[in-house]
Amino acid sequence: MSLTFIRSAAGAALLAVLAAGCGTAATAQHAAAKPAAAQPRHSAPVHAPVTTPTPPPATTAPAPATKAPASSANPIPQGNGGDQDPDNNGGPSDGDGNI
Amino acid sequence: MTAHTSLRGRHVLAVLASVAAIAAAAAAFALSGGSPGRAFPALVPAAAPAGWPHLTLTNGTAVLSYPPSLRPVSGDADAVSAAQVSPKGVFRLYLNATPRQGDEQLRGWAAFRLRLLTADDAASARELAAAQGVAFRGGTGSCVIDTYVTRIGAHRYQEIACLVQGRASASVIVAAAPAATWAQASPLLLRAVAAYQVR
Repeated sequence: MSLTFIRSAAGAALLAVLAAGCGTAATAQHAAAKPAAAQPRHSAPVHAPVTTPTPPPATTAPAPATKAPASSANPIPQGNGGDQDPDNNGGPSDGDGNI
Repeated sequence: MTAHTSLRGRHVLAVLASVAAIAAAAAAFALSGGSPGRAFPALVPAAAPAGWPHLTLTNGTAVLSYPPSLRPVSGDADAVSAAQVSPKGVFRLYLNATPRQGDEQLRGWAAFRLRLLTADDAASARELAAAQGVAFRGGTGSCVIDTYVTRIGAHRYQEIACLVQGRASASVIVAAAPAATWAQASPLLLRAVAAYQVR
């Protein structure tokens, strides 16, 4: 009887691992299909259309150390500089290409 | 023998019940998105409500519709903007449309936007969610929702910024609000983004 119980428990553990694996796969698949409005017309995205990065630390995360784009070589001066956009004075950033 | 068979049957049932419970929990986690609040919101392109004013890019390639509670504000010569600004000059709601100017691409747009923010006017920026292949009126776009802190004033904003490709041109639409009020502001801002029309 004890041996039978051990076998059953082992089987349950194995199946639990398999079920957890299926759950993870379902999560990824669900995430890819999340945006109802996502309708690629020109070319289907290679990567999952939706990305949900892992939450950052509680403190304000610094900008990732990435290479600056070519267009940012000459950023618009802040403090009412350059084009005097609101975003050069502490306002929201506009959609310019920083050129 | 019969007792043994019955006991074994109970063990099998217990195992099956455990597996079913685990599978149900996994499915519930998957359906919830796994990360509540982090999924990109659905953007369904739709014409702006009646009574919303419109601003057309000077090159005629896109039309920005904005709620009547906003007013046009100045910006780049080739761009259009509308905002709701407090008497003290604090931006409560902000909409901007700008023709594609630099190296913006649909692929990698989120990373490009974050790099641009930190290279220009933000001390820090962090992506919250992103999507590609988003349908717009007249085109398709890539979008990112992020939060950033301005170098001047250390204002924390949250925004949705989309690069939208039309038939013959591309442009960027930005909708932003103070991060602290994003939850209240985002429905209206997302409505404006969904109404954005490109040509």
